[in-house]
Amino acid sequence: MPEELQIYAPLLPEIILALGAMALLMYGVFRPETESEAETVGWLAILVMIAAAITIVWYGNGTVRLFEGAFVDDAFARFMKLLTLGGGAVALMLSFDDFRNLRIMKFEYPVLVLLSTVGMMLMISAGDLIALYVGLELSSLALYVIAAYRRDSVKASEAGLKYFVLGALSSGMLLYGSSLIYGFAGSTNFQVIANAAKGAEVATNLWLIFGLVFLMVGLAFKVSAVPFHMWTPDVYEGSATPVTTFFATAPKVAAMALLVRVTVGAFPAIAMQWQQIITFIAIASMLLGAFAAIGQTNIKRLMAYSSIANVGFALVGLAANSAEGTQAVLVYMAIYVVMTLGVFACILSMRRADQAVEEIEELAGLARNNLPMAFALMILMFALAGIPPLVGFFGKYFVFMAAVKAGLYPLAVVGVLASVVGAYYYLRIIKVMFFDDSKEKFEPVRFKAGAVIAAAALIMIFGVIWLGPFTDYAMAAAQSFTFVK
Amino acid sequence: MGLEAFFFYIFSIAAVASAILVIIARNPVHAVLFLILAFFNAAGLFVLLGAEFLAMLLVIVYVGAVAVLFLFVVMMLDVDFAELRAGFIKNAGLGAIVGGIVMLELIMVLGFQSYSSQIIGNPAAPAPLVTDNVTNTEALGRILYTKYIFFFQVAGLILLVAMIGAIVLTLRHKEGVRRQSIAVQVARTPETAMEIIKVAPGQSVFPKNEGPAE
Amino acid sequence: MEFKAIVFLPLIGAIIAGFFGRLITDRGAEILTTALLFVSAALSWWVFSRVGFGGETIKVPVATWFTSGELEVAWSLRIDTLTAVMLVVVTTVSSLVHLYSIGYMHEDDARARFFAYLSLFTFAMLALVTSDNLVQMFFGWEGVGLASYLLIGFWYKKPSANAAAIKAFVVNRVGDFGFALGIFGLFAITNSVSFDVIFSEAPNLVGKEMSFLGYQVDILTCLCLLLFMGAMGKSAQFLLHTWLPDAMEGPTPVSALIHAATMVTAGVFMVARLSPVFEYAPTALMVVTFVGAFTAFFAATVGLVQNDIKRVVAYSTCSQLGYMFVACGVGAYSVAIFHLFTHAFFKALLFLGAGSVIHAMHHEQDMRNMGGLAPKIRITWAMMLIGTLALTGVGIPHVGGFAGFHSKDAIIEAAYAAHTTYNYAFWMLVFAAFMTSFYSWRLMFMTFHGKTRAEPDTFKHAHESPMVMLVPLFVLALGAVASGFVFSEYFIGHDYKEFWNRSILHLPSKDILHHMHEAVKKAEWIAWAPFIAMVSGFVLAWLYYIKMPSLPAATARTFRPLYLFFLNKWHVDELYDWLFVKPAMWLGRVLWKTGDGRIIDGLGPDGIAARVVNITGRVVRLQTGYVYHYAFAMMIGVALIATYFIFQGGGLLK
Repeated sequence: MPEELQIYAPLLPEIILALGAMALLMYGVFRPETESEAETVGWLAILVMIAAAITIVWYGNGTVRLFEGAFVDDAFARFMKLLTLGGGAVALMLSFDDFRNLRIMKFEYPVLVLLSTVGMMLMISAGDLIALYVGLELSSLALYVIAAYRRDSVKASEAGLKYFVLGALSSGMLLYGSSLIYGFAGSTNFQVIANAAKGAEVATNLWLIFGLVFLMVGLAFKVSAVPFHMWTPDVYEGSATPVTTFFATAPKVAAMALLVRVTVGAFPAIAMQWQQIITFIAIASMLLGAFAAIGQTNIKRLMAYSSIANVGFALVGLAANSAEGTQAVLVYMAIYVVMTLGVFACILSMRRADQAVEEIEELAGLARNNLPMAFALMILMFALAGIPPLVGFFGKYFVFMAAVKAGLYPLAVVGVLASVVGAYYYLRIIKVMFFDDSKEKFEPVRFKAGAVIAAAALIMIFGVIWLGPFTDYAMAAAQSFTFVK
Repeated sequence: MGLEAFFFYIFSIAAVASAILVIIARNPVHAVLFLILAFFNAAGLFVLLGAEFLAMLLVIVYVGAVAVLFLFVVMMLDVDFAELRAGFIKNAGLGAIVGGIVMLELIMVLGFQSYSSQIIGNPAAPAPLVTDNVTNTEALGRILYTKYIFFFQVAGLILLVAMIGAIVLTLRHKEGVRRQSIAVQVARTPETAMEIIKVAPGQSVFPKNEGPAE
Repeated sequence: MEFKAIVFLPLIGAIIAGFFGRLITDRGAEILTTALLFVSAALSWWVFSRVGFGGETIKVPVATWFTSGELEVAWSLRIDTLTAVMLVVVTTVSSLVHLYSIGYMHEDDARARFFAYLSLFTFAMLALVTSDNLVQMFFGWEGVGLASYLLIGFWYKKPSANAAAIKAFVVNRVGDFGFALGIFGLFAITNSVSFDVIFSEAPNLVGKEMSFLGYQVDILTCLCLLLFMGAMGKSAQFLLHTWLPDAMEGPTPVSALIHAATMVTAGVFMVARLSPVFEYAPTALMVVTFVGAFTAFFAATVGLVQNDIKRVVAYSTCSQLGYMFVACGVGAYSVAIFHLFTHAFFKALLFLGAGSVIHAMHHEQDMRNMGGLAPKIRITWAMMLIGTLALTGVGIPHVGGFAGFHSKDAIIEAAYAAHTTYNYAFWMLVFAAFMTSFYSWRLMFMTFHGKTRAEPDTFKHAHESPMVMLVPLFVLALGAVASGFVFSEYFIGHDYKEFWNRSILHLPSKDILHHMHEAVKKAEWIAWAPFIAMVSGFVLAWLYYIKMPSLPAATARTFRPLYLFFLNKWHVDELYDWLFVKPAMWLGRVLWKTGDGRIIDGLGPDGIAARVVNITGRVVRLQTGYVYHYAFAMMIGVALIATYFIFQGGGLLK
């Protein structure tokens, strides 16, 4: 690499992904249109992601700001990017078998996932309102498309359209907020905004606060926090299951990272205010997620509400506005991604006569038909419910401890109550699997899904062993920010 | 200065009024036409700001392409607007209240509070003055390909995604459609195209293979 | 070491048989536990000879159990003559019962469990009798209670066995409550639970008072009565006796071991062990005498009319325990223990004999369906006969006789010598002796003599038990014949002071054994009174059941109310049912249905759950599916947050 380009090394993962996506697009276009070629593209896309991940680990060092601060590479960004890439790659791998089944195995899906991932990584590294917006749009646009990827299904088309319309609305609000902020600070750069806000009078700050409110509405929509969550259940249910798997993992991580970067990075001066917003949407998300999930019969819808509640729990850590809080967010999201991948791998394995089934009651008596899968799903459900000593417990533990340390006792109490209510529907699935009358057998679990299920369950059980080093790593990532009380 | 202010208010009022009419117009075709009017007014505002290039872009891209496309879609699709409107009216009261509250708050915040002096007149990239002898287009290009190259590239990726998305969601290869393949046509020779068969008396001939030529 | 071996060998057997029964098979469990018990029994006899006749008192510390503040509980074995006697009784009977059970239970498919329980029981009983302090005794006390519960309910598939097990446990709880209070009280007063400390403190407490339930009461009387309450429960004295007859639901060897020879005598043992305390509480002793005498009388009357062969023996046990308490009550602890000793042999013999009969009759227990069995099972008949002779106390005064003769007549004489009011204890015991003779012979005649009333098929197949069951009978028969005249000199005769050697306290002021011998010398008829009662009982039974078999029915018709009263066991069970069980059930039902169900569940879990479902319903209904509803929800969110900051956050209106 030439000397003068050396400084752009932190951008290398994104460049690799983007160029890889384009190369794969060419490959796909000029090769025969068969399923096996499409799967080749898929595996190559996973390879590209792995290459990007290796570059992140290889070149990542310290904090680097490029393009006048529009692109930030720091430990936090690297942590979240690795998580995003991991979630995305596994979700992509899980899609192959199911898409073959649905007869929609085409090379565009991996390409779109790659491009969406580029957008997410740009979101994670955003240090500028414009970078934030273009990253968000890049990832979202690809997501709108893959939501409707199963284009022959009315439900999927509806899901894609809904997501698109509401996403456009949220983007509008985000842009409106950005313009207010720009109007206040005279710059789109986060650092400049932070400096400008520092000296401003409270009265003038309302400009800024309103800008922040609208900006956060846009971001809350992306993480599907209440009351901007409404799209989530419909899209989760309507989209093809592999797409839902992807939705539930990588974009959530990226949007959460962006939320952290905007609040902690750009608005430390009005931390009081955004903490209040975060507290509000965290409480609303935890409660609504917990209560609404109880009424669900479709397991994908249930997971939608579960993800809403989980985002609420993660936001509790953010509300703490401290290094511990951010560390808790990182740890929580990592654990959440693993649990979610495992559960969705199980959902993908719920097939009878080559037909996917999605009702919870179809799991009845799974313990008698397929004990390993039932056991793994039980572990994952226990982990989601936050039962020690499974790793899922520690995710909740860290966020609540961070909230308590920050003095946000009501938030922690509501969180614990919500997780108690939430435990009900996770345990109900276990009850259905183990104690209800057995239904017909599912088809045998495919290798890829089985591997993901087993890995996720094992991580839930034995992950405690590596929890110490992992949290240290997360702490190092969280300390990329300076926290102002 | 007076003239500029005059035109500013003309364009602004016309833009807001046509935007409102877009929503409340009964006839959907009229609504799209009002949308075009709103675009024109916005273009006028750009001209007032000295951003001729953006104004032209707005007219060409939004009016010339997007809005006209809208018009076609609206005219071709049979959307039951009366039904949509019924829902609109049913919820109009509640919507008006919530919208009114938000608007009121925005007016309170933005209308009665001023920018702090240090920030006013400190744009990130000021428009070039006429005396600079730099065209609008050139000025845009200068920062777009230097300072904003990063955003520009990402925007390119977004367009790529949009293109892929449009193709993925709409393109269908229908089975049994005979497509023209010029290369194959040109490459035809008598040897590949013809087969000479001797027909015995009292017998009939069937082609060897149905379907398009290889 | 040998002391520890005696106590812990059965525990080892129980653990191995209980936890590894599958591994060593049922047969292995049988042999192992039985062998260990025989080792333990042999050691016990050796210890008995050393301690009883050698005059040693030994203490073997095992471990410190726990220390909490002033409460120090050591685990040590206290081996004196009293303990040695009990060791002999417990291990001998237990080992014989183990052996017998190999034959009796051979058709059962859970024998490992059975033998584990038996050995566990034996361990607990040994822990009880070797205890050096009250807490350790309480441990053994509860241990035997547990083992008894497990064994009564051994055939847990039988509802009646379960009910009987629960009944035994609950009734014993009532007694244990008193026992525990007594222990607390002694600790509160003396700051120790160790026997040595308590015994040395006891004389200083005479006449002192304490506050109990708001009354000023004499310390020793109160505490002794509380302790006696425990003894009443365990030894099935009147009012707390109801569990014992029901306990016959357990396998017969269990009845022989627990409900005749050992556990039920724990109460007697406890009073004797605490004789240094009881001796200073004459009022309490009076109560003990009265309860004992009344139980002896009461149980005998009920025994007269029972038809279940085991129940007759059970009521007989109850009655004999009453005798023992009378002896304790009048201060003749050594006589009580002597009777306990002899009774263990002949009552176990009777039970095992009854078991042999039941075994022969294919688990038929109703005597009305027996009769004429003597020729069929000649050996069992002979053994039962010996047992009956011992129980009824056949013997010639001043000459000698079966075991029961020596011990029971001594109790009757002691009761006379104690000069209770109107000599009620003496007369009740004599009358009870008459009835004992009657029902024992009734049992013999109804079972073995006369014309058979059995099913012809069952009768035809009636067969003698195998040798493994008969050998224990022989050994016990030997005890029933000889234990009386061999040991009477040591237990209650001239050598008793050297023999007991301070393990039992008799206040010199009222040397009851001396008075007893004096009284007999003065009034010869006292020695003959039980003899006459015994003979007349036999004659009457012969008349009723051999000579004129129509008499019983006629008598029952004539004295119908009395007959029913006896047959229904004085209606104590019905009384309890009405007094305790029904109200408790009612209270339980109210607390369950109203208290728990309606109030706690209704407002608590169920109520909250119902609210959760309500909320869920509403939240789910929000999800209409219309895009504009979703968008509107977002707008409301924006409005809410913005409004919040207008009023509070930013401070525009400050």
